[in-house]
Amino acid sequence: MANLTKRCLAEFIGTFFLVFMGTGAAVIALMISNGAATPNSFNIGIGALGGLGDWLAIGLAFGLAIAAAIYALGNVSGCHINPAVTIGLWSVKKFPGRDVVPYIVSQVLGASLGSFLLAGIIGMGAVTVGGLGATAPFPGIGYYQAMLAEIVGTFLLMLAIMGVAVDRRAPPGFAGIIIGLTVAGVITTVGNISGSSLNPARTFGPYLGDAVLGGHSLWVFLPIYIIGPVIGAVLAAVAYNYMTSEEKAIRD
Amino acid sequence: MKCYIDALEGKDKDAVAICIVCGMALCMDHVKREDVTIWEGGYPFPSEKVSKSLPRILCPECYAALKGD
Repeated sequence: MANLTKRCLAEFIGTFFLVFMGTGAAVIALMISNGAATPNSFNIGIGALGGLGDWLAIGLAFGLAIAAAIYALGNVSGCHINPAVTIGLWSVKKFPGRDVVPYIVSQVLGASLGSFLLAGIIGMGAVTVGGLGATAPFPGIGYYQAMLAEIVGTFLLMLAIMGVAVDRRAPPGFAGIIIGLTVAGVITTVGNISGSSLNPARTFGPYLGDAVLGGHSLWVFLPIYIIGPVIGAVLAAVAYNYMTSEEKAIRD
Repeated sequence: MKCYIDALEGKDKDAVAICIVCGMALCMDHVKREDVTIWEGGYPFPSEKVSKSLPRILCPECYAALKGD
């Protein structure tokens, strides 16, 4: 196994690409629809051009970046690129506790670099118009409704990870594409509710970038995107372990 | 069973192994052994090298193909 430094570097790079490609798609969607008339207040611009197709495109940008990262870096670090996934695996004793904090720090730093580089490449429009793709509850969606949406979305993501990757019976080679498509699907539905972060690092990076570069301060919403994904991931991991525990006992 | 390569050369030598890829019978002079490294894990766990490797008995041609020669 690669040493902890190499594994943390892999987590850093993987989360960087997740944020750069994924939130980059959200930023671009907002910038190209900037000024377009939106049909109602629930539509903030993403959806103004292609309806739900806008969200599918953003979801696929996230999903395909995740798939690429999993295939490229999965053997090095496990490619969690998500603190909620790391904590979820730790909660069912599939990941050592001593590595949890280094992994999360690497993921947060990678996400932050992704947001700053996005602003550096696109310019201040990425901050003032695109908000660096930061997540927040959409118009008409309450604080706890958004948190519940994050719990549900991350539950499905973690359930897919448990079934497609953690379970030894899963057919090899499919994890990256299935998990990427799962994220794309969740974003298509949950995107216009809570922003569909499913990942505390993915939200922290744009929040930090916005704060430093003069964008909107959204820190008040950060607990939604920490508590929601962590609860969803832990619940899914524990539920999957419970659902498969009897079969394991028979096999043993 | 006799060594196939020796038989082609008109020699008569007992085989001691069979190539796992093509099934060719081989004597000790022609047999090739390759110990293949085994890795476990992969997403969402880091890959780990298994302490024991997997022995592979091969004929010279299949050995060359394995090595990309």
